Amino acid sequence: MPKIGHFILHSNVMPPITAGRYELVSEMSGVPFDVEPEHTHFHVAAPRYVMPPEQIISSFPPANAEGAFGDRLPQIVLKRRTLPWERNPAGGTNPSPVPWLALVVVAEGEAELSGATPVAECCTPEKPLTDPNDKDVEQGLYLAVTETVLKKIFPCEQDLPLLTHVRQVDVHDTELANGDDDGFLAVVLANRLPVFDQANGKSVRYMACLVNVEGQLPRLPKPQPPVPAFEWKLAQDWSVLAQANVSGGPDVQVMGGKGQGVAAGVLPLAGVGRGRRDPEARAAGAAAASRGVPAGVQGSAFAQFVAARPATPVGQALDGAAAMGEPAVGNQWTRAAPVSQATQTIAAAALDPDAKRLVRDTMGMGFRLPIQLYAVEQVFRFPVLAHWSFTTNEGATFETLLQDVDVGLLGAAPNPKPKKAPLPGQPDPLSPPPAPEGPEVVETGHVGLDHTTRRGDAVRAWYRAPCVPFPTPRHGGTVKDAAATEPLPLAHSADQLRRTIPDGREDLALAAAFEIGRLLALSQLSVVSALMRFRAEQFGAGRVRELLAQVLNVPLPGLAGAAHTRPDLGRFVALEMVGTLAKSPAAMLGPRRPVADPGRPLAVNGELDAVIAAGLGIDLAALNKRAASVGALAALEQTAVPLALKPGEQPKPDAALPALKNALQGELARTLGVAVPQASVGGGVIGGGTIVRGRAERPRAAEPDPLDRLIAAAAEDGDDEEEGPR
Amino acid sequence: MKSFIGAQVALQATIKAAKLYADVATDDDPDDGLHVVPGELRRFLARLRLLHGVPFSYLVPDAELLPPESMRFFYIDRAWTDALVQGALSVGTVSTADRAQLEAVYPHIRTEVDEAERTIRRPPGQDRLEGAASTITGFLMRSRAVSGWPNLHVRAYAVDVVADDALTTAAESDPSRLKVLRMERLAPAVLLVLIDGVPAVVHVEEPRQGIQFGARLDANAPPAQRRARVRFRNKNTGNLIGAANAPLTDANSVEVPFRAGAPGVIDLATLRQRLAAKAPPVAPTLAPNEFALQMLRFPYRQVFGDPDNKEGTKFFGLDTFKPTVSLVKWQAAVKTNLGL
Repeated sequence: MPKIGHFILHSNVMPPITAGRYELVSEMSGVPFDVEPEHTHFHVAAPRYVMPPEQIISSFPPANAEGAFGDRLPQIVLKRRTLPWERNPAGGTNPSPVPWLALVVVAEGEAELSGATPVAECCTPEKPLTDPNDKDVEQGLYLAVTETVLKKIFPCEQDLPLLTHVRQVDVHDTELANGDDDGFLAVVLANRLPVFDQANGKSVRYMACLVNVEGQLPRLPKPQPPVPAFEWKLAQDWSVLAQANVSGGPDVQVMGGKGQGVAAGVLPLAGVGRGRRDPEARAAGAAAASRGVPAGVQGSAFAQFVAARPATPVGQALDGAAAMGEPAVGNQWTRAAPVSQATQTIAAAALDPDAKRLVRDTMGMGFRLPIQLYAVEQVFRFPVLAHWSFTTNEGATFETLLQDVDVGLLGAAPNPKPKKAPLPGQPDPLSPPPAPEGPEVVETGHVGLDHTTRRGDAVRAWYRAPCVPFPTPRHGGTVKDAAATEPLPLAHSADQLRRTIPDGREDLALAAAFEIGRLLALSQLSVVSALMRFRAEQFGAGRVRELLAQVLNVPLPGLAGAAHTRPDLGRFVALEMVGTLAKSPAAMLGPRRPVADPGRPLAVNGELDAVIAAGLGIDLAALNKRAASVGALAALEQTAVPLALKPGEQPKPDAALPALKNALQGELARTLGVAVPQASVGGGVIGGGTIVRGRAERPRAAEPDPLDRLIAAAAEDGDDEEEGPR
Repeated sequence: MKSFIGAQVALQATIKAAKLYADVATDDDPDDGLHVVPGELRRFLARLRLLHGVPFSYLVPDAELLPPESMRFFYIDRAWTDALVQGALSVGTVSTADRAQLEAVYPHIRTEVDEAERTIRRPPGQDRLEGAASTITGFLMRSRAVSGWPNLHVRAYAVDVVADDALTTAAESDPSRLKVLRMERLAPAVLLVLIDGVPAVVHVEEPRQGIQFGARLDANAPPAQRRARVRFRNKNTGNLIGAANAPLTDANSVEVPFRAGAPGVIDLATLRQRLAAKAPPVAPTLAPNEFALQMLRFPYRQVFGDPDNKEGTKFFGLDTFKPTVSLVKWQAAVKTNLGL
């Protein structure tokens, strides 16, 4: 890539092989067995009769332009850097520094551009071309020139390499910065300056054709002694043919320069193009469309259109806004001088839906003269890969356009243009019509516009665009006495930003901005969903956290970092809950059931009533008798239970000791019975029938243990109480 | 059943959340860093700030404000672009809770969108620039130069360091250059350019792809004897020999030979010899790229802005006002006169 602000010129970039069909034969040697040679065929494709439009980057002068091009060499810029050297014009397959392309500039009336013809007829080579079947398209155009014209305007064979070079540019500062252009371009120059007819003051229409000179190099002119000056005249003037009646001619596509007749099927309906506002043109077009008419009648409708009106003022809708009232593209090149017929027609063709095909066809207007029919000398044909037409008049170059541009701050009225003195030979320019009254603009940059309120009243309001002629504070006047960088407070609806001016009108600038911003965001679903997601992520997470903080008394982790790096709050809370439950189960769950061993099995001998009554020391028979009369519950209530200790009574020491002893022995026996179950104590186990209030004494196992015997032996000297029930 | 989270609890939680979590980051991009606003939303809002998608009638309410063949400079009203972004953010704020939250997070959104403005247009090979918001200026040009020469080069300089005809070598991130935030053709003949800062000079240059070759026709020659000359260049540097606007003489140009009988057709073989004689080439004959170099008509550059007042056109006579009395003396004189 060249440095910023530089470009590099190369003489040529040679391709390694030229275009064509090749056969590759590969043989293998040095192996002990036989190997068949391998034949591979491949085809190196390159344009030959038509240049694909994507290979043409630009052309100078611009197509269908009218301007002061008399001091510039026409050129065409091609995308692929090796294109002009991909074929050898002398025949043969070696790449040669002589290019096969030449740019030829013909004036209107000097040569003939054909219609679509099969490619075999597009060329008149002296010897057959290298591979006549290597054609990229089936039909192409050709340029038919007489020998005189060829000798005058075509470049010499030695000039061909001089007129073609390669340029390498830096594309950083341009609109192409975001594409992937590599900056290499091939340029083909013309050898003729498209000069203006100074003597008569008339503009001249030229056509630049990129021709293929394969096989015709010997026909090109030889160098001759030069002359220092030139005078404008056509190389050969065939323009009289334009008035000839050619209904029987072989070239059916003839455009009459004076409205003679129009091409069959080339120019469609006038009214179908976009943006035309003229009802008469639309009607003419619609009428022609309904009839599906052949060339003649259609031609008259179109010729009527062309003759009747000047360039249609077409509006360009940008981003849905209304048209700016800009004149047609063809009209923009000349403001004062009237646009020529040809330029207007081509510009009108550009608005047609079929413009891609139509515009190039229409550019050939004025060059479709039946020279081949009428010429006495030999006529040569050269295939034309690309062509465009332009007109040289005394107009503007980039330099003059930018020097004449009216510069000012937005809102400044245009400077009145000084009247230019007319050049000799040119008619006086018409005096411009009086300018209409301008828009209502005030010094603050506000513009007065019509406003229809929500209720339907039609009032005037002030509006100011974001483009203002002086620096404004960021708060827009909504905050009093604030610094210029103090920002605009947040508004939630457009109506909040409407201001009323002391003169009674409203200032709708900020309100309009708010509303269009809202509509632009709503118009794209991806933006709406991005906003929703943003809100949910940023706000939703915080709100959940605050809710949990209020409900729980657990410290929550902080919300730092992006969403995917934060801990999952749900899981965190759940784990915390489980931990809190685990720490104080009494508070969270309830009282805890103590760990308990399984109880001993109860041995109940006899009736349950009898066992319990005996254990409590109650007379069962008396109880039953009483129960029969007053009920079991009442009988139980009335029965007195023998107690060892009355409530409030101090335990007697002599009664306490045996009781304690009994209790101890009983517990001991029970433990031993569990630990050493084989040992049995003979005799009875002395246990206390003592009843501790509130607790039921559990009966012991029946088998006597050795320990029981021990205890029985030990307790002989003590008072023996009645042994407990078995 | 009495719910544990009632309306009061929810409302308090919302209010607290809106205040406390306004700066929580939601976007962590390894290339971009940690931000509150997600990347695509930030870039959309930054594009809105640069007026992408805004209909043209909002920028130029009346067509007469931008007449044909005119160029209008302006400042961007940041209140207007802030209102635009606020409108975009108001989508989806329905309840008071939403609005309270937007109110709390809006300063962070604004700061981040300010920083993202400079990253929207980034030609390849340039550094990524970020910073706080500053003034944005720009211009609208409506001219045939825009439609006839697409891909114009526009460069804005904070300081006039480049001579008017010198080559540009500074990258856009150079401190003397101001970044072009947006350059777009809104219509075939209307160009909108937004510049980051207040420029001292603006260069508008012919597109380099449209470099032209040609000769200089003699404007004073009679119509029957038109002549032309080619100004030649130093083949090592590519600069013109002599001053840029010097008249054409034999010292700095050659006369163009034409083919006899053919109007305007250049006799290239003779021209080649004449150029080779004046500017001795490397090989005996002039190579095609050397020939092209000599025939170059360099892209024309128009410079807008005159910080050193070389052309002597200032708007107000006050600019040439020079004080001749010192302030102290003047104050004393005023006091005496007023009897203070």
